Amino acid sequence: MTWISKSTTGFGLLLLAHACYSAHEHSALQSHRAASLSSLPTTQSGSTTSLPIDITIETVLATLMICLGLVSGTSRLRPIQWRVWAGQIEREGEAGFTNSSGEVEKDYVGNPFRLLESRPGFVDIRKQRKEFAEWVKGQ
Amino acid sequence: MPTEREFQIAPIVPESVMHNTKALSNLQNLTASIFGAAAGILGLESYSGFLFYLVFTVLTTVLFYAIRVAPTSLKAGHATFDTSRFFRTQYEFWAGGLFGGLAGYILTWTLFYGLVRA
Repeated sequence: MTWISKSTTGFGLLLLAHACYSAHEHSALQSHRAASLSSLPTTQSGSTTSLPIDITIETVLATLMICLGLVSGTSRLRPIQWRVWAGQIEREGEAGFTNSSGEVEKDYVGNPFRLLESRPGFVDIRKQRKEFAEWVKGQ
Repeated sequence: MPTEREFQIAPIVPESVMHNTKALSNLQNLTASIFGAAAGILGLESYSGFLFYLVFTVLTTVLFYAIRVAPTSLKAGHATFDTSRFFRTQYEFWAGGLFGGLAGYILTWTLFYGLVRA
């Protein structure tokens, strides 16, 4: 997923740089032509025309591509309401908090109710004793 | 406007709010500079430049909504264009980027305008 967004952004930047160079060349050529034609009596009034349509299209397309690439490269959003957020952690665990390259994000805190669930008062001591006894028998 | 009582009943996770806001504002600052470069290359002046910025920023926000917000938000039963699952106010999501990125936009707009029309 990450390489798609990065390559889209990179290609868009390349197109934008090319459009920038083209526009610069165009304006340089126009000013050169205007300077050379100024000696002639029939000076074209349309010599300082606007940008050619292909450069315009290239620029707009490049902008849209960069935009798409950057948006698809953003990290996943997290629910702001506590109950929705804690529910997502319960259901999906670490899988719901991976970044675009598939690693768990650094500020993933885990279950916010971890402290409650491991509270000593809630430990089922009889069940643990039974399990231990079975384990001892099995040895 | 949510009251203190409502915040007690349905608490909000500040880390998530910060994470989402950071993701959105990073995106908007970056794209604003790119739009500035594009506007400078196109040679836009005065109102058309600001119109260009407005159109593309709204486009970016809608794209962000469609890619990041909509898939999970619609599944959770929110209405279309309702961002309350990830952002505290609608205004922050839909209009926050317009003013946050404007300075960067004008900076690169003037820079590229000057570069191209040397």
